[in-house]
Order: sequence, then structure tokens, then C-alpha cells
Amino acid sequence: MPIGPVFRQGAMDGLSLPAFMVASSMIGYGALVHSAGMSLGIAVVSTIGIWGLPGQVAFIEYVLLGAPILSMLLAVALANMRFLPMSLSLVPMFRGSKSGWRLRYFYVQLMSVNTWVGLLKKAPDLSPNMRGPYYAGFSTTCMAAGAGGTAAGFLMAEAMPFFVTVTLVFINPIYFAFIFSAMRVRACLLAMLVGAITGPPLYLLSPVWSLPLCGVLAGTVGFYADRWLRRIR
Amino acid sequence: MSSLDTTHAPWILLGLAIAATYFWRGLGTAIAARIDPESGLFQWIACVAYGLLAGLISRIIVMPVGLLAETETIDRLVATAFGFVLFYAFRRNVGIGTLSAASLFMGLVWARGEGIF
Repeated sequence: MPIGPVFRQGAMDGLSLPAFMVASSMIGYGALVHSAGMSLGIAVVSTIGIWGLPGQVAFIEYVLLGAPILSMLLAVALANMRFLPMSLSLVPMFRGSKSGWRLRYFYVQLMSVNTWVGLLKKAPDLSPNMRGPYYAGFSTTCMAAGAGGTAAGFLMAEAMPFFVTVTLVFINPIYFAFIFSAMRVRACLLAMLVGAITGPPLYLLSPVWSLPLCGVLAGTVGFYADRWLRRIR
Repeated sequence: MSSLDTTHAPWILLGLAIAATYFWRGLGTAIAARIDPESGLFQWIACVAYGLLAGLISRIIVMPVGLLAETETIDRLVATAFGFVLFYAFRRNVGIGTLSAASLFMGLVWARGEGIF
């Protein structure tokens, strides 16, 4: 199969629900940047460059606070730490394809929760050579929607009442909650269940270290609980 | 501080923030060359990623910071629960779950703003 149609198929899959949800949550982010008194350029470039909402929000909040640079960097890095296990599980999908493997350091920049789930769900149906184009189509659609949403939110910020802006901010976590709940892999579902339950109390324990801690704890429990369930079957 | 500094400072900070984020992406990519997608280690890492994301999402809904922190916890929880009911009622439809939760949330925040309850 030639590359063009696969890229287009990825773009169409991205265009359905994911791009719409990314655009909505980035409208909320654009409004946030506007309220922080920063420029439209910063808003759009931070969406494309950081490309991870929790880190973007941490960036804006810390710059707004005038916090020391090092603490800003630490906050952004920790908020986006999820990209480490995510890229670890995404990149091996491109193995077995020369062009995909060559572009891997570029592909990870396009990775968000949306595009990561998008490829992981579709990868079993695609030959290694088709994964790169599919993922690129899916991701660029999402990124374009995100950049457009950010700009729109920035420009409409003053016209939007509080209940609209805050709902747009709410869409991001809630959409991810449903994307993940739609997963069918038992080990991942178990890990997510443990993560969702232990996330808030661990945050109270240590706001800084709660995320990696929660991930390792929940992931390990999910992984072994799944193996154990398989054995007793 | 000169005006040049104040114009350029956000861009320098943004460049650093982008680098801090790409650090994880690049590190994962470098290590990924040694990981076999069929191995148990690979499945464990995927579980860690999902567990971490679920923890992050649940923390954002239960204990948000920023704009969401100005809304009532009960509103966020009721809207989330309502979304999950419709999500499962419609055979795990992500769009229906998200839109119903967001709509109810918007209604609740609006009603509080109007002093309805």
C-alpha cells in the first residue's frame, strides 16, 4: 500500500473525535495564556513545542508567579514525565520500518496522550511500514487542531464567560478518562484503576514525586495482577 | 531590566520548557532501541504509563490547581459520574461520555454563577 492513503487515513481518524477534543481543551489553554497577559505567539508555540497540557499549564503558572527558572523547569519536567514511559512504549512500534525508525526522534515530538493511544490502538492492524505515515497523519491533524484551538481561545478569551472557559479546561481530563476506560487490555485497565485510586492520596503525600511513584506502583500491580489472573484461569 | 529583556524573557523560558519536555521524549526514544515490544518489560512499561496517566487525571479532577480549582468538587464529581453512566450505557462511547459530562458540568457551574444553588 502506498504511503499517501495511510497518511490520509490517519488524518481522518485524527479528525473525528481526537482533533475536536484537542481543539476544545486548547481553547481553554489559549484563554488561560491570555489571562496571564502573555502573547499569542507564546500561546501557540508553547502548544506545539511543549505539546502536553499539564506541562503547558505549569509553564504559564510558574512564569506568572515569577518563580525561579530552575523550579519552573522542574515543574514542567515533572508534569510531563509521562512522556518517558509513553515514548518507551511508542517507539518500538516503528521498529521493522527503515523510514519509521529514522524519523523516531521527530515522531516523539508529535506524541501526545491522544496520538499515543491512537497509534497503540491501531498498530496491530498496520504493517510496520504503514505505522509511521498513519501516525504522522493522525498527529499533525491533532497538532494543527491544538494550535488553531489555542489561537482561537486566546483571541476569544475576553468574550468567553467563566462557565465556558472552565468547562473547556475540564474537557481535557474527562476526555482522557473515557479514552482510557474504553481500553480492552486487562493489565492496563487494572493499572489505571490502581492509578486513579492512589493518585490523589499520593499527591497529598508528595506533590512533586507522586506521579512517578503512582505510575510505578499502579503499573506493577496491574502487570502482576494480570499475570496472576491468567494463571488461575 | 531593559525592555529588550522583558520582551525576550518569556521566549527564553519557553525554549527551556520545551527542552525540559523533549528531554523525556528523547530519553525514552534512546532507551527504546533496547526494548523488545514482545517482552514482559515492554508490557510493564506500558502499564506504568497508563497507571501514571490515570493517577494524573484523577488528581486533576479531585484536586485541581488553577482555573478548575475555582469550581466545586461536588460539581466535578457529579459530572464525571454522570458521564460514566452514559459512557457505559452507550457501549463505552467516548464522545457521548465526554460531552455529557462536560455539558452537565457547564450547567452546574453556570447555575452556581447565577445563584440558582
